[in-house]
Amino acid sequence: MSKTFARARRNEMFLAYAFLLPSLVFLATFTYWPILRSIWFSLHDVMLGDPEIYWLGLENYTRLLDDRLFWKVLGNTAFYTLTTIPISIVVALLLAVAMDSKLRGMAIYRSAFFYPVMIPSVAAGMVWVFLYAPSYGPVNEALTTVGLPRLDWLYDSDWAMPALVIMSVWKYSGYFMLILLAALKLVPSDLYEAARLDGVNAWHRLIHITIPLVSPTLYFVIIIGTLHSYQVFDYVYIMTQGGPADSTNVLTFYIYQTGFQYQDIGYASALANALLFFVLGLIGLVAVTLGRKVHYLGER
Amino acid sequence: MKFSKSSLTRRRLLASGMAAPFVSAIPGLLTPARASETTKIQFMYPVGASGDINTIISGMITEFNETHDGVEVEAIYSGSYDNTEQKVITSLGVGEPPSLWLPINSALQTFLGLDAIEDLTEQAKSDDIYDDFISGFIDTTVSEDRLYGLSFQASTPVLYYNKDAFAERGIENAPVTWDDLLETAKALTIRDGDALKRWGLIIGGGWHDWMFEAYCRQNGLVPWEKDKVLWDRPEAVEALNFWKTMVDAGCMPKASTWQGAANDFMAGTTAMLYHSTGSLTNLRKSSPFEVGVAFMPKKKTFGAAQGGGPIMIAKKQSDAKKEAAWTFARWMTNTQNQAAWGEATGYLAVRKSSWEQPEMQAYLKEVPQAKVALDQAAYSGAFLQVPAYSRARDVLKSAIDRTLEGEVAAEAALTDATAEVNREITRVLRRQKG
Repeated sequence: MSKTFARARRNEMFLAYAFLLPSLVFLATFTYWPILRSIWFSLHDVMLGDPEIYWLGLENYTRLLDDRLFWKVLGNTAFYTLTTIPISIVVALLLAVAMDSKLRGMAIYRSAFFYPVMIPSVAAGMVWVFLYAPSYGPVNEALTTVGLPRLDWLYDSDWAMPALVIMSVWKYSGYFMLILLAALKLVPSDLYEAARLDGVNAWHRLIHITIPLVSPTLYFVIIIGTLHSYQVFDYVYIMTQGGPADSTNVLTFYIYQTGFQYQDIGYASALANALLFFVLGLIGLVAVTLGRKVHYLGER
Repeated sequence: MKFSKSSLTRRRLLASGMAAPFVSAIPGLLTPARASETTKIQFMYPVGASGDINTIISGMITEFNETHDGVEVEAIYSGSYDNTEQKVITSLGVGEPPSLWLPINSALQTFLGLDAIEDLTEQAKSDDIYDDFISGFIDTTVSEDRLYGLSFQASTPVLYYNKDAFAERGIENAPVTWDDLLETAKALTIRDGDALKRWGLIIGGGWHDWMFEAYCRQNGLVPWEKDKVLWDRPEAVEALNFWKTMVDAGCMPKASTWQGAANDFMAGTTAMLYHSTGSLTNLRKSSPFEVGVAFMPKKKTFGAAQGGGPIMIAKKQSDAKKEAAWTFARWMTNTQNQAAWGEATGYLAVRKSSWEQPEMQAYLKEVPQAKVALDQAAYSGAFLQVPAYSRARDVLKSAIDRTLEGEVAAEAALTDATAEVNREITRVLRRQKG
């Protein structure tokens, strides 16, 4: 009896591994192997287009410490993440709460706010280059209409990064809204009714009922958003190429420049590993701070 | 002769019409066996100036294919110079480079470092290359007395100016010295309160390091040697300080983009523009006013760095392909084609004989502006031909940007940039020595 049980269990395990294998092979080929290779490359002088590689030890990493641009780029990436993600999530949450009602035509609004997500990022980038154009762009026209000064946006090293952040918020919010909306649908409505009977106002209902109850989803959205945002490359490539004065250069773009434009694969690998640690650190930080506050329904 | 669609068709008809009797007379030569011997080669090229250059190049390639049996060129448009270089180098990495490509001349040392390009010296000697190519252009593809490419799209930056705007301010002549330039730019700038209506001058962004090298040369400094850059010299610092003066005077923007600057000029939002001579035809035809072209103003002397690039031929490919590539490269740079290419774009024809063509003479009579860059080329040299030039360009652009933004002083920015780039060059050279 126990023998057949053990065999059945072994079969089941075998089956499980068989099912996992394809994705494992895929991950190993396209994720783990490149990571290991980039660690190996980061210890060498490797040049794109040249098969020879030369051992350097830690030289690429000591270069990193002296590289003014690397620190600037790291700061830019952190700035982009730490502004884009919180702003998008607040906007998304407010939108989701507003959309979570049974008014007529709500589906149209939802689609409207989700629409930016569906636009390919290259197309969105090109459109925003036009919107931000200093002399004829609609953004500046709008600013003039309400009496605000016109800005040089993508040509101004102080405003280029905020310009990217604004467009990213526009692009991400709808996506986060959709996820949060799904979570809101699961919040029991009797909680709101009870609160309303006790005379709790909308703001307090949001703070004390909605946010705690969607916090697992919120947490998920923060993690996903962070992962998305440190990977930002397309908008930088299309809209600014990292300029002016490196003010919008971010880690992924700098890695691309170093590896493909400067053919310096060794140093690009060192940068990629720095990015890996940066992301691990960021995710760790989120997990330690916010992760502890997550409230799971039905959990004690 | 222009590469417009209609004339291409006409030429094609002429060519096939002339060929027809021969084809019918000697059918034995056109056996299927011969057709199967067609050598297919790939040509990667960028578009580095403004205008419809892609259509013009692909039109030339189509014409080549139709008039040459046994060779078929596949045209691969590969974006900017940077994109093209990346694609070529990546394909070199996997051992399958295109047969030919068109990089910026600054990339010479990079490709030599990769042992990627064919030495063309002997072939060129037995041809008329050394006699008929304008030496200032062909020199940019020479390293240690060996020839590694055929100049195709030679260019320098020139000063474009809006003649209507000049007339409206009562200015008769284009500025000749840096001081003139500053005064003229100030006089041409228009502001309405805080809002800017027209800049006096825009230096085409994205290539402003190229323009900066021109300023260094105008100040008597070639800002690089084959294994180092010299941007920390006083002549270079003075040049950058002059730019800062123009920005501080409010007559030139701190930053711009390549295409955006050309658009601003055509739209009248800047009265003067530094841009490639390769943009001449587009600027001239698309501007609703008369476009003037002048030498870039001088300090100690006139000066310019050559942009544009040569056609290079891959070393690692079969002899048949090399021969086909040579045939194609020579055809692209023959007298007729260079004359027509120059007229269609504004790039400088690289052959002396092209400039003597009757069509070219007629064109120059009609558009005397086209000759300015050729005359200025007498004061020009190769552009930043150092190893790691691509990083060098970015570092310099960053130093210029930060200076114009007011983040750092010109001297400090240039000193840092020089140290950083020279460290990189040393690193790359160490690698090449093994």
